[in-house]
Amino acid sequence: MRHSGRCPSPLNPDLPFQLSFPHPTQPQWPQSLSNLLSMPSLGGLLKKRRTKDSQDLGKPDSQNHDGSGASMQPASHASPQHSGTGTHENAASIDNIIHQEQAKQERVTKGKYSQEDFELQRTLGTGSFGRVHLVQSNHNHRFYAMKVLKKAQVVKMKQIEHTNDERRMLNRVRHPFLVTLWGTWQDSRNLYMVMDFVEGGELFSLLRKSQRFPNPVAKFYAAEVTLALEYLHAHQIIYRDLKPENLLLDRHGHLKITDFGFAKDVPDITWTLCGTPDYLAPEVVSSKGYNKSVDWWSLGILIFEMLCGFTPFWDSGSPVKIYENILRGKVKYPPYLHTDAVDLLSQLITSDLTKRLGNLHGGPSDVKNHAWFAEVTWDRLARKDIDAPYIPPIRGGQGDASQYDKYPEETEHYGQEGEDAYGHLFPDF
Amino acid sequence: MAQNSAPDSTPVINTRAGDKSAGSPKISKDDEFEVTSPTNLTFRQSNSGAVPPRTALFGGSAFTEGGSQTGGSLFSRSPFQDPEGEDEQEGELAPLPGRSAEQGFPTNYALGRRTSVSAESLNPTEAGSDSWSPPHHPKTEEQVSRLKSAVSSNFLFSHLDDDQSLTVLNALVEKPIPAKDIKVISQGDAGDYFYIVEKGNFDVYIHPSGAVQPGPDGLGNKVASIGPGGSFGELALMYNAPRAATVISTEPKSTLWALDRITFRRILMDSAFQRRRMYEAFLEEVPLLSPLKPYERSKIADALDTIKYTANSTIIHEGDPGDAFYLLESGEAEATKNGVSGPVKNYRRGDYFGELALLDDKPRQASITTKTDVKVARLGRDGFKRLLGPVEGMMRGAEYELDPKRSPVSKAA
Repeated sequence: MRHSGRCPSPLNPDLPFQLSFPHPTQPQWPQSLSNLLSMPSLGGLLKKRRTKDSQDLGKPDSQNHDGSGASMQPASHASPQHSGTGTHENAASIDNIIHQEQAKQERVTKGKYSQEDFELQRTLGTGSFGRVHLVQSNHNHRFYAMKVLKKAQVVKMKQIEHTNDERRMLNRVRHPFLVTLWGTWQDSRNLYMVMDFVEGGELFSLLRKSQRFPNPVAKFYAAEVTLALEYLHAHQIIYRDLKPENLLLDRHGHLKITDFGFAKDVPDITWTLCGTPDYLAPEVVSSKGYNKSVDWWSLGILIFEMLCGFTPFWDSGSPVKIYENILRGKVKYPPYLHTDAVDLLSQLITSDLTKRLGNLHGGPSDVKNHAWFAEVTWDRLARKDIDAPYIPPIRGGQGDASQYDKYPEETEHYGQEGEDAYGHLFPDF
Repeated sequence: MAQNSAPDSTPVINTRAGDKSAGSPKISKDDEFEVTSPTNLTFRQSNSGAVPPRTALFGGSAFTEGGSQTGGSLFSRSPFQDPEGEDEQEGELAPLPGRSAEQGFPTNYALGRRTSVSAESLNPTEAGSDSWSPPHHPKTEEQVSRLKSAVSSNFLFSHLDDDQSLTVLNALVEKPIPAKDIKVISQGDAGDYFYIVEKGNFDVYIHPSGAVQPGPDGLGNKVASIGPGGSFGELALMYNAPRAATVISTEPKSTLWALDRITFRRILMDSAFQRRRMYEAFLEEVPLLSPLKPYERSKIADALDTIKYTANSTIIHEGDPGDAFYLLESGEAEATKNGVSGPVKNYRRGDYFGELALLDDKPRQASITTKTDVKVARLGRDGFKRLLGPVEGMMRGAEYELDPKRSPVSKAA
């Protein structure tokens, strides 16, 4: 299944309002859409959508529930419905467009590409099941991040369900502070997920380099994470792996949360112990069953780490000591912390679920309305209308991966054919 | 072909809302658009000299009094910068003190990337807790009490209730170690079992490489030894992590008790799940809470505290201001009133009392005393209100009899 070259793209240089990042298999400068756009009524349609989008942005519980706003929606014009059907080249009826607009809510990303669609470049990160590569689309020559998971390893580590959830959750979300999934496929050995290449590298690297962040800097990142969590939770998605390693900086210094390896649809309660030791909430450690409020606990740990450079329950001994500290729940706040920060942290890093902000009657608003965030204009932040405190020094243009640490490369040849013992376990890829 | 970003000298084009002069369309700030589209007129270059004009998005900042460009801070500006800030060039945030012990920085803090951990996905509703029953390996009472004290200080066991604890101890399986020098666990291997020493002694070795190596010194350094009542490998009860050490038998005949992660976690999950279902079922029975939506009841269930009382203790004193609501999980209790002989009401599993305290702090109208050992689930009014908001709003106009003559400790109907 290939889509190369068939699909018109909204990327027309004459257009003042390009709405989307092109699909990786889309050629960059197609001709055909200009005809469409000359139709006044369609122009009107697009304009209307545009207005709606700017209103909807950052409001997770607006009507725009599936994130179908074009501005947050890579699939809008470059959507597989468009690319797959290729209809509006010939049949440019507005009904058709509208129909496709509706259809895009179930964006198809399964089995979308193959290895031949991309030129493999360096490794951006490694994990327990595989690695993430920088790749370049052979169609539009843009850069993407390709996560490769070894099926045998996923199976061995008993992460089949989490991996399928990762794909499903990523496919569902559309938010300026969440990384976008463009498509997936699998070969006999691996699963592949193509996502945005977020050029600024990990917040982790910046934090370690800075040792710790000044109060307003930590506040900026914390605020963007808060909006992302608000969005995820409004969609009943629990994230479960908040930490600086999973926060990427875009070219302008805004955050994107990546790695949905533990994200899951959780309307009420869930049971599986997962996350990162330093960031686990006590109810996760004690195997009680837990809800989305564990993400607010982790936000507290994240803010603490950004402000202090270390996590509050860390122990040099072993993870067991960390868990004992988490269950004990005593946090020593360094004296240099702002009192508002301490107040917020003590209401996030609390085992009492009737006190943990984010879990209470006011929901995420309780966090957003906390004094520490007083200066944050949330709607502007949601539009990225606030200058980031740090602009990653990306000098090489697109595909500059200098902000990422180097990892030893592996020579495995992707796209191999052969016996596939596990393919049936990953039907969505 | 994508354009490269312009050189650093390119002036920043302000794309902030409110700046209509940029001539760029005021579309929403789509990141994909911003980040990758070379055709975007509003494209903002990274880290160039000029600072875009700012509107007062944030108040003044404590960090605008910048240091020098080389002062060590990476932050060119504060998102909370004072709009009148004089720093036309990159304002710098004050450098912070480094990682010193005086600053509370832990010694030996691990600065590397942290690996995520995960247990197997378990799901009680799908698996059906009825279809699984925990293994039961009979033990003498004496063995059970010895095992109990062996794990009493372990964080994974110390918070278990008596039932969970007994089920877990019953699931421990005996594992004879028939010879000396048997590696029970090897550093670096996947870990699935937790062990308690019944008989014999075991040595613990750690190799600095993180895994056991071939050769005579492959075990690394001996760091400890474990005798009867000792235990090791508890992390394996949480998730599959590589073993942190090698443990090796030192006697010709030893005995261990073993417990695997899935069994342990299933026991905990099933019991927590059953309790949870019980709470939800109980809560559904409380008329005062009937207007609540399921997710609100779920939140209450999350926040209930279990408290145990011995026989003949008083849970509620007549006349005290009411502050909490109780569900009776197990045991029996009775309500008595001053001036009335004999109990006015009896309570059993599934009954509840004190629910009017969720509304206000009117004095308790009766005392509740336990007749047997009792386990209750408690929710305080303050916590209740924090979770669900003001009671008036929560009740959503639903009728709830607030007849002062009705006993606040009575179960409706």
